[in-house]
Amino acid sequence: MSILKRTQQWATFARTWHIYDCTWQNPFDSAKVVKNHLMGLHKPIYHPMNDCGDHVVLINTGEIALPGDEWIKRVYFHHTGYPGGASWTLAWQLHEKDPTMVMKKAVYAAMKGNLQRRHTMQRLHLFPDDKVPEEILGNVTSQIKQTRVVPKRLDHIDKETLENFPAIMDYPKDYVLR
Amino acid sequence: MSNSHLFLKSGFPRAPLQNGVGRYICQLQRITLKFCKNNGSSRGMREFIEKQLIDFAKENPGTVVYVKPRRHRTPVIVAEYLNGDREWHNCRNLSKEEITQWITLMKTQNGSSSSLRLRKMWHTDMPSIQGPWTPFTLKNPASNLVIFPNEELSKPLDVEKSATEKLIELFREQRLSEGKLEENRGN
Repeated sequence: MSILKRTQQWATFARTWHIYDCTWQNPFDSAKVVKNHLMGLHKPIYHPMNDCGDHVVLINTGEIALPGDEWIKRVYFHHTGYPGGASWTLAWQLHEKDPTMVMKKAVYAAMKGNLQRRHTMQRLHLFPDDKVPEEILGNVTSQIKQTRVVPKRLDHIDKETLENFPAIMDYPKDYVLR
Repeated sequence: MSNSHLFLKSGFPRAPLQNGVGRYICQLQRITLKFCKNNGSSRGMREFIEKQLIDFAKENPGTVVYVKPRRHRTPVIVAEYLNGDREWHNCRNLSKEEITQWITLMKTQNGSSSSLRLRKMWHTDMPSIQGPWTPFTLKNPASNLVIFPNEELSKPLDVEKSATEKLIELFREQRLSEGKLEENRGN
């Protein structure tokens, strides 16, 4: 293999680092997107037998939004292997113990259960907030688009915009606002 | 690919040492025809030997031809190639024409084709003119200057305008038209 071809090989199979912001995102929808990048499914060179998966950094996993009443209805099962070792943990309890766990399990469950899955998961880096170590953030060269828009909270909108917001009608002067 | 082919060799279509470019070397080195002198299953083989074998041997001086009679056994062709492959083929009850076809195949191929699974059905010396894909092809160079995490890049692409945004737009348009009206009145 010539030097040029070797360099070509390195370039084609270079691993890209992606970042994904989990704020207000449904972890199960996000997992489908993240999984594609982890396994390299988004690349034209993808083949199940070539190792072309990328790294994905998930930030703000503590801020995920589960749909409906899933915080209290979704249950995570674990068995220690001993008699009576079964335990069931509600999603909100798991999230309190480790804010990255729900997202991690969602990505893990989104992938097919084969021998490669554990190794693919090693390329996933989860952070409960936006504090990411410099050596990891320095690798990132791409951002994955979120699955839904993050709504803006009223107390995060600045005062000027609020005052200039068009009012449909004015309240009467004797109207008591509570 | 089924379980019975787990140990089948796989490869790509290729010509050894650019065979056929400039000079051609027949890759079939030795062919052994085994047959019975009496049995009916060897009839086609006997006919082939009587009528065509001499011509075949004359036309292909690079190939050694062995003929081996043996009593009451199935006729068989064994072909040995330059790359070391040995192909065994059963010719029971085959006619002269069918045997001719098989021998022509063995004469023209460069190894035992039945013991090789082709990974690609084509061959090219120039796989891509525009060059193989890399993660950096068709990337906007402006993305080198982005500081991650970036809020703008994170937003989904297909977002419809919300009712609030539409309302604000209407409001602005109304204000503009009102301003114009007033200007017109002033004139």
